[in-house]
Amino acid sequence: MVAKEKLVKIVGAANVSDKQAALDEYSSDISFVNPVRPAYVVKPKNTDAIQKLVKLANKTQTPLVPVSSGPPHFRGDTVPGTGGAVIVDLGGMKKIIFVDRARRVAMIEPGVTFGELIPAAEKEGIRLNMPLLPRKSKTVIGSMLEREPVIMPKYQWDISDPLACVEVIFGSGDEFRTGQAAGPGTVKEQWDVGGIQKAPYGPGIASWHRLIQGSQGTMGIVTWASMRCEILPSLEEPFVVGSSNLETLLEMTSWLIRLRMVNECFILNNTNLAAIFAKKWPKDYQTIKDVLPTWILFYNLAGYEYLPEERISSYITDINEITQRLGVEAVKAVGEVSANEILKAVQQPSAEPYWKLRYKGACEDLYLLTIHDKLEGLIGEMNDLADKAGYSSSDMGIYIQPIVQGTGYHCEFNLFYDPGNSSERNRIKELSASAIKSLMAKGAFFSRPYGESAGMILNRDAATVGVLNKLKNMFDPNHVMNPGKVCF
Amino acid sequence: MGLEQYKGDMEMCCRCSACKFIPMQRVKGNQYAYACPSISRYNFHAYSGGGRLNIGAAMLKDGMKYTDKLLDIVYNCQLCGACGVSCNYAMDMEVLEPISEFRIKCVEDGKTNPALDKVIANLRKQGSMVIGARGKRGAWAAGLNIKDATKEKVDVLYHVGCLTSYDKNMQKMAKATVKILQKAGINFGIAGDAETCCGGRAYQMGYTKDFLNQAKKNMAMIKKSGAKTVVTSCADGYQAFKVLYDRFNLKGDLKVLHISEYIDKLIRDGKLKPRKKVDMAVTYHDPCRLGRLGEPWVHWEGKKIPGDRFVFDPPKPYRRGTNGVYEPPRDVLKSIPGVKLTEMTRIKEYSWCCGAGGGVNDSNPEFAKWTAQDRIEEAISTGAEALVTACPWCEKNFTEAIKDSGSNLKVYDIVELVEKAI
Amino acid sequence: MALSKEVYKEFECVVGEENICDDPAIMPAYYNNKFAAVILPGNTAEVQAVVKLCNKHKLVFRPICTGWSGMFPPDIILLDLRRMNHIIEINEKNMYAVVEPYVISSQLQAELFKRGLNFCIKGAGTNCTAMLRGHGHMDQTTSGDDRNHLAIEWITPEGDIVRSGALGSSDEWFCGDGPGPSIRSILTSAVPPGVTPGVFTKAAVKLYHWPGPSAYPIEGVSPNYALSEIPPNMMARYYSFPSVEKMWQAELAIGESEISFELMGFNISMVAANITTSNEEEEETFNRLSKEVIGPGFFVIIAGNSAADFAYKKKVLEKIVSEADGKSLKAAEDPRIEGILMCQCTRISASIRETFRNGGAFNSIPIMGQRDLTIKWAIGAGKAKEPLIEKGYIVDDGGAFFGWGVEQGHLGKTEIFCKFDPQNAEAKAAVEAWQKQENLRAFKERYFASTMGPQDEIGPALCNYNQWWSKLVKALDPNGVSPEGGALV
Repeated sequence: MVAKEKLVKIVGAANVSDKQAALDEYSSDISFVNPVRPAYVVKPKNTDAIQKLVKLANKTQTPLVPVSSGPPHFRGDTVPGTGGAVIVDLGGMKKIIFVDRARRVAMIEPGVTFGELIPAAEKEGIRLNMPLLPRKSKTVIGSMLEREPVIMPKYQWDISDPLACVEVIFGSGDEFRTGQAAGPGTVKEQWDVGGIQKAPYGPGIASWHRLIQGSQGTMGIVTWASMRCEILPSLEEPFVVGSSNLETLLEMTSWLIRLRMVNECFILNNTNLAAIFAKKWPKDYQTIKDVLPTWILFYNLAGYEYLPEERISSYITDINEITQRLGVEAVKAVGEVSANEILKAVQQPSAEPYWKLRYKGACEDLYLLTIHDKLEGLIGEMNDLADKAGYSSSDMGIYIQPIVQGTGYHCEFNLFYDPGNSSERNRIKELSASAIKSLMAKGAFFSRPYGESAGMILNRDAATVGVLNKLKNMFDPNHVMNPGKVCF
Repeated sequence: MGLEQYKGDMEMCCRCSACKFIPMQRVKGNQYAYACPSISRYNFHAYSGGGRLNIGAAMLKDGMKYTDKLLDIVYNCQLCGACGVSCNYAMDMEVLEPISEFRIKCVEDGKTNPALDKVIANLRKQGSMVIGARGKRGAWAAGLNIKDATKEKVDVLYHVGCLTSYDKNMQKMAKATVKILQKAGINFGIAGDAETCCGGRAYQMGYTKDFLNQAKKNMAMIKKSGAKTVVTSCADGYQAFKVLYDRFNLKGDLKVLHISEYIDKLIRDGKLKPRKKVDMAVTYHDPCRLGRLGEPWVHWEGKKIPGDRFVFDPPKPYRRGTNGVYEPPRDVLKSIPGVKLTEMTRIKEYSWCCGAGGGVNDSNPEFAKWTAQDRIEEAISTGAEALVTACPWCEKNFTEAIKDSGSNLKVYDIVELVEKAI
Repeated sequence: MALSKEVYKEFECVVGEENICDDPAIMPAYYNNKFAAVILPGNTAEVQAVVKLCNKHKLVFRPICTGWSGMFPPDIILLDLRRMNHIIEINEKNMYAVVEPYVISSQLQAELFKRGLNFCIKGAGTNCTAMLRGHGHMDQTTSGDDRNHLAIEWITPEGDIVRSGALGSSDEWFCGDGPGPSIRSILTSAVPPGVTPGVFTKAAVKLYHWPGPSAYPIEGVSPNYALSEIPPNMMARYYSFPSVEKMWQAELAIGESEISFELMGFNISMVAANITTSNEEEEETFNRLSKEVIGPGFFVIIAGNSAADFAYKKKVLEKIVSEADGKSLKAAEDPRIEGILMCQCTRISASIRETFRNGGAFNSIPIMGQRDLTIKWAIGAGKAKEPLIEKGYIVDDGGAFFGWGVEQGHLGKTEIFCKFDPQNAEAKAAVEAWQKQENLRAFKERYFASTMGPQDEIGPALCNYNQWWSKLVKALDPNGVSPEGGALV
């Protein structure tokens, strides 16, 4: 175990803790991974300190677990996989380095949350492509590094979007900047000639940022990141379409996205929409849910600087053709929930308490990627599995997010449960593991493998794992970065 | 002269592979995008138009050994010119000419193909491209009351061609042509037994001397006949008279028409009236030497202007296949009542070769058939019941390939359909 | 060095006698290089078997698709992927297509057009492989660089088959990333060096909606193709502006308003090349059009999903251009020219006219990334062309650069080239010197660093990426059989 004074020397005494209460915070999370207490929690404030920490970890073979978001954590990736680990909590690094309207890009430190960045971006007239209602303590970099799906598929040209460039300290202790940020020159020197850190590919032929994303901190520690932003609309017109027929809504969604007419666009089942908007539980939730159709498609039309009304008007005309063909109707409210309310909500992080926890106190998220033709089948399978496991499928939230301009769908099952009820907890734990297995067998792609099921997911693709191991050995030769996560 | 004069052109090849495909804007899908039978069959880049230019450039620069492989590359080319059309959509450079010159060089260096040697030996002996032809060349015309152009003055000399004259299956074309010309009241004649090969195929094969011999013989006979116009139903013959004779300054003022052009003119002039219905769904195959290679020769002499561009003084006008004979055969088909024409994907200047050109039907019948088979599949894909062409070599190659494939597709020459309609 | 008879036979057993050749006769067509053999594998299994044999016998190999350009050492095995020419799948609902290496862009696009779809065709031309990573005229709508690949099937240098993303886990092509970190980070194709070693045998590419016709109504005979009519709800125009700043103002506004299907920052020299059918005609047209433009400019295609959508886009376009004091090129308003440009700049069928036709060669400096920054650099690079133009070394194009918007102006691409006669040794040397000098200036003044430059200088300036790449290549290729990676052009 690394000596405390060595850590103090790097980050200062105030930023090192080995107190039980502090360690306990990081020992477990809402997921079902085994609790493992870290040895220390350190809170560095700059790149230099982080690099020193990594070099020290290499010298002493100390596992490092990077964390940026605040609790509660959900995925198990920030719970140490082995003993003697040092939590590197970047939550205190909260600089918004720049927000640039002209180039539509922002650069931030790891601890910046959505709630902090949104107003700063708004001041400059730009906005983020956000995930759906992240929790208040969720950091923007954390979300992007996880490849969380974003709610404006039109602006997600690549699955790595909206992430642009990162500065990372690899597990080897080497500093590296990806994309345009790599050089020539330091970031400041690039600014001096009018450069901005936005093009994500490179340096060289590789796109190194793709390796950092999805790695759960096993390749290195990100010290800042830039992300592309979109212009704030001058006019918005949201709509909802309700139906019991998911295929109809998927068909409509695919055309809305294909024709690039909509900004925010996603589908929720009634459980999730009710869960998001219920103020008082369980009464509100049930009242809202009872008058909702099974599925609700939400989309938003936007106009910008030039003739926004005309733009939106032409979209509405064109969408009418689609809805008429499909026999559905685009309306301004569904049940008691208005499209405007949804829009307002999803352009911000979740209000507290985090919407997924309001129902029963905990939530197990199961998410996969798939294609149009397989989606309904997988949902049907999950419904069956839930019912068989004694978890009523009608209690299960479902969130369908078209991704990467319509090339696929993120499908998320939200299993709400009472964490205080051990039999309920166990049921969910077993359901989660068995569901992943069954859904994989039916062709679901679990691109973000977390927790206990990660091994099962990665075992399906030994060839890719072989390559990942080669990369891991390069970037983290001593395997100090978050050991036990992904396939490492 | 020879290959040397195309050094600059061969060096211009940037290896873009356009020569392997039909012009990019004409590509309609994954199928029927290939233009060059040679590389489509043999796949190594050396078999493409560009590959052949690379080889030519290397021969000039460093010399090359004549290996079996080199000769395989040289002789497995129909010299169809599709590569040049695709290349010259964008580039200003000669493509088919250096390829042809390389063939000629091989023959001059004694590196001939034995099968083609046999054909040329027969030409020298018999004045025909048809090996083993029996009987007299003019025998098909017995009883048809056709003027003998070697004895009487005629306005139009109908040059029948080797294959049409000697091949029993092709003689119907000659008879149909005669019927059409007689119906239109044309003062025409044939040379009959005295007719000799135009020499066009000999030129394709690389035997320039033999071609010139034939050309001189033909021009002498035409002069004697007084004919101002030569009409032929063979695309090879058409290109020989119209283009090659002109190129070698032998043609003079002679007017050369393909029978499809002539029929088109006769219909427009009211001399032919296709009235009888011929209910048939057809597609039309553009023979290479009537289409892209049938465009008139352009006499030009000049020098490259030193500098940043590959340009000449005076400016060099490239023959890009623009002025081939494409519309007249189609107009003729459209004027036959009941004929429904559906085009294939590869047509006109970017038509796929039938497979018989460049001597390939003699030197590599299997490759010729392979080429034809591809065309037949394309024809069938249009839904047509018949493939119509305007050259006996095309028709023969298609017919043989269809026999092998067991398909029901029929093959006609354009004159056969016109004959049915008049 | 020739392959021994036994080794040759081993390869022959994999691909068949017809599909391997080491005869000197074919080598001039393969870059005039003395390859140990040229092999034509027909499918993934054959590629894998060949690669394994290369490992067995420690033979270096390189793959090519159409193989437009490349530099190769002698005595290596060349894998010509020509026989792998199938479109595996077109998935309209999920907007991707899967192709083998020798499907050329023109073929795939023609199939996509029939389905109201399109994809990113690289500016090099539609005669190149559809699988190629790269950037092209339509990037404003169809993205570019490595952002269009989804799943990839890859034969590693050791002969393992690796399928990225969903392909490896669930046999689906729609996602090339995961599980976990994405190996798409290292799967890339371009001109070597520094390309992924091994061979890509199939790749899925993203598709985009195509509001245009299922096939352009082309009339005419080569080389004079034109459209019989402008397709409904589509328009193409060329605008010039009084200054680079104004041009950029308009370009940015067009990107942000999301109205253009294509924004191609053609200079007038390239317009002239694109629409003409000979060098002489090009020169005359360039001289004539140069008098009509008021400064730098770009070519725009707008395409409406409906009449209302088109009307809106047209209105906004005209407003933006007017606000930037732009002028529409009269020649491009002529429907014949408009149609030619529209077709050729979406089918990308005239790139060869723009590049090779003049002198036979062109040397280029292309940069992907931040458009406003690279334009700044390109102005200087253009000025540096003037002495070469004066000396007659390169074609006079007014010293211009070009480029285009990518992803509605989020990213961009700038390029500048010199067209010349490669047989003219002085011109060649002058062009190479210009290229070196301008790359160096870009590096020193921190605009960008061309990774074609000397690695010992460029590498450290770009976080020593070359060392990481080198380590990776060693890890993937222990027998050193794929040192330069693959050329997929």
